[in-house]
Amino acid sequence: MASQVIALVVNDEEREFIAKPGTSLLSGLRDSLGLTAAKRGCAQGGCGACTVLVDGKAVLSCLLAVETINGATVRTLEGVAADGQLDEVQSAFLDGFATQCGFCTPGMIMAAEALLDRNPDPGEDEVAEAISGNHCRCTGYRPIMNAIVDAARRRREARAAAGAPARVSEEVA
Amino acid sequence: MNYRLASIDKDYFADQRDERYSVIGSVVQRSDAFGHVTGRTEFFEDQAPARMLHVKMHRSQRHHARIRGIDVSAAEAVPGVVRALTHADIPNNLYTPLKLIGIGPDDEPILAEGTVRYLGEPVCAVVAETEAAAYDAAARVAVSYEDLPAVFDVEEALAPGAPVVNEYHGHNYFTYEGHHCRRLRFGDVDRALATADHVFEWRYQSSPIEQAPAETTGCIVVPQPDGRLRIHSDTQACFFTLDNTALILNTPPGKLRIVGGTVGGGFGGKVDVAVEPVACVAAMATGRPVKYVYNRYEEMQVSSPRAAERIYIKDAVMNDGRITGRQIRFYADAGAYSRHSPYAITKSAAHMPGPYTIPNVWADCHCVFTNRTPSSAMRGFGVTILDFALESQMDRIARALGADPLQLRLINAYRDGDVKAHRKVAEGTALVEVIQKAAEIVGHELPEDFRRMSSASREGA
Amino acid sequence: MVVEAVHVPDSLAEATAQAARGGHVMAGGTAVMPLVNYGIVPGPELVSLRRTGLAGIEVGDGTARIGATTTFSEVADSPGLSVFRPAVATIASPVIRNMATVGGNLLTDPPGDFATCLLALDATCEVAGAGGSRDVPVAEVIDSGLRPGELLTAVVVRLPAGANWFYRKVTRRRMNSGAIMTIAATVETAGGLVTTARIALGGLAPRPVRAASAERALAGRPLVPDVVMEAGEAARADVTPADDPFASAWYRNRVLPVHLRRALLG
Repeated sequence: MASQVIALVVNDEEREFIAKPGTSLLSGLRDSLGLTAAKRGCAQGGCGACTVLVDGKAVLSCLLAVETINGATVRTLEGVAADGQLDEVQSAFLDGFATQCGFCTPGMIMAAEALLDRNPDPGEDEVAEAISGNHCRCTGYRPIMNAIVDAARRRREARAAAGAPARVSEEVA
Repeated sequence: MNYRLASIDKDYFADQRDERYSVIGSVVQRSDAFGHVTGRTEFFEDQAPARMLHVKMHRSQRHHARIRGIDVSAAEAVPGVVRALTHADIPNNLYTPLKLIGIGPDDEPILAEGTVRYLGEPVCAVVAETEAAAYDAAARVAVSYEDLPAVFDVEEALAPGAPVVNEYHGHNYFTYEGHHCRRLRFGDVDRALATADHVFEWRYQSSPIEQAPAETTGCIVVPQPDGRLRIHSDTQACFFTLDNTALILNTPPGKLRIVGGTVGGGFGGKVDVAVEPVACVAAMATGRPVKYVYNRYEEMQVSSPRAAERIYIKDAVMNDGRITGRQIRFYADAGAYSRHSPYAITKSAAHMPGPYTIPNVWADCHCVFTNRTPSSAMRGFGVTILDFALESQMDRIARALGADPLQLRLINAYRDGDVKAHRKVAEGTALVEVIQKAAEIVGHELPEDFRRMSSASREGA
Repeated sequence: MVVEAVHVPDSLAEATAQAARGGHVMAGGTAVMPLVNYGIVPGPELVSLRRTGLAGIEVGDGTARIGATTTFSEVADSPGLSVFRPAVATIASPVIRNMATVGGNLLTDPPGDFATCLLALDATCEVAGAGGSRDVPVAEVIDSGLRPGELLTAVVVRLPAGANWFYRKVTRRRMNSGAIMTIAATVETAGGLVTTARIALGGLAPRPVRAASAERALAGRPLVPDVVMEAGEAARADVTPADDPFASAWYRNRVLPVHLRRALLG
């Protein structure tokens, strides 16, 4: 079978590209769509640097053959601050020195986004579990976990101030 | 966010009373953090030049063997394969990275020539249109070997009759100024050991430690219209890589341009010029952009780790806790090639006998070649494992004497004006004060005379 | 070899046909794609079960039927399968659990922690092939796999009562870690004495195994530390541990009784 046209809704835009058989979503995003925030740390499902949301769930884009998710909705880090405005997770990472080399950051943030979509007030253990598939070799994780707890607080406060419900799962709905 | 900012301890640093600092004591955002949290930071692999080719490496399947033949015909028959490269394609195939500072001999091939000396050594590079084709072809390179005896242990490698790992050295040690090891001789250790109240000898051993950066080692080389090569690399040492690559390519450095500085974790693991030369040769041979990046397996298997070290420490110790002599036999496993290890072992020697004033010191520090993955730089290489050994030794001596481990260290800590084993006069020492402060913070009580000690004098020690 | 096609059939019949023609089956992709990404292609044609409709959980009458492509996140979120939540939480990480499936965990080599649970529960596997479907004891699937061209469609398991269900995974790290050993067991008692015990051990042999010697050692006796330690020592006869990066064979043998005791008695 020859290459195939893959259609995805990526960061709210309909995108199409041609993929060779067995192309991973990570490769499709990076090499075909020019979305390079998701990183290839291992291509084995071991590092989490390629974490993105597919149909609202945090998954490892290196382990998804694009043919198997044709038509899916994908959100990458590029889609989190699409309007140029950092969201709570990003700004908490920025303020909390939760980045060093920055290579794990896109995956960490997407794993955190998925956690906060499900749980607006996670405890430390829940944060640790949410990023347990994401490796960071620089920080020792402590600033990252602090930043995610801080981001949850910022988001709750922002939603409360706006009179909105704390839990928003538009992509799941 | 609450930040705990460290203030300057004016008890100790009386000269630093002036506090007109603009950075110290304030929160300064990292300059690269905005790019990191938005995913806009450009790592080398985020480049996507048109018509880019992919390199994958066929690696040695033996620890030590003569290469009888390399057959690339099946590899070249794979659809999408453009070239297969062997040692004959590399202008100056033999190198050693520290030749830039005059360390030699050249002892390592870019691509194996005649012999492989460790499992995973690069033998033949395949250049292909897709990563999948490059993988497929690299697996189809056929190498015939004649096995040679291999040695994996540092002391076995130095024993008479051991197989010679690296003919360019002629023996399994790196030669330091005509000696088989880096030596330290200060005072008379034999006499100190003979006259000591106690002699303690223990052995310490570490395994290789992989840096395991989140981003694997790699580069993308893009030929420019003016004939130069633009190298996007995650090297930790842009100009070091550029100069070494220029020597290997036999090209003036001005023909190369490195774009780097954004490194997805290095920890010392990205200073070995591991991928750039082959990628450059492939780019020159094809006239097209080339990507050569380790996969995770390669990063763990063949990127150079911190050396395994074996350390014997024998100390002459008096009943009052003074260490009067220290004898160290130190072996670092460089693996099959020098890389940065000759420098690491010099650092080890320079670090001995630890931050203590010991009047008699004897050390033999060996940089040993074995048929293991070459080791190289990693965070304080040459020093960290040694410190583990030295400080473990201090704790064990304290335990053996029934002494307080901090008091033992305070008795032996170096002071300003002490002559170290390398005949350098110590200055700016602060170990005494650091121990006192640490003891205070953790609630470890020190007697008054130990609390009064100072780095400025030997009074009370 | 390179991948020449990835089939994403819409029906079980189509998937079975493609598997029968030699297609390599994958569910969540967490075992197959790492190979593909490194050029270690298991076959030129891959068959994804993602759209075959095999995912789903039915709970009723003390029994659960879990579709083969049900992910571990779906298991964890299912109110009817809450008894498995602690076990599922020990399997990889949330990102992997969003992808990895119950069937994949059972058919990967070696079978994983959930397979160890299913073994302790004597689960039944529903298997479909060109010639129709059949039910196979999970022990047989763990030991021998499926026949060529067959697909696992579901596992059917009698849900244990919480008080009779024991699970313990011993790891080097608290989360997202391979097993030093995994212990899953159902133990029922009457009048303070063990009436039935089914103990499955993972990470102690090439595949999860039943600790028949330990089960015999417990039968008819009280569930107290001495007896359980004795059963743990007996279990050494049932395992063939190996050295791996998580622990040595020696260590696994040494600590097996302790962890069996902790699994059954806390």
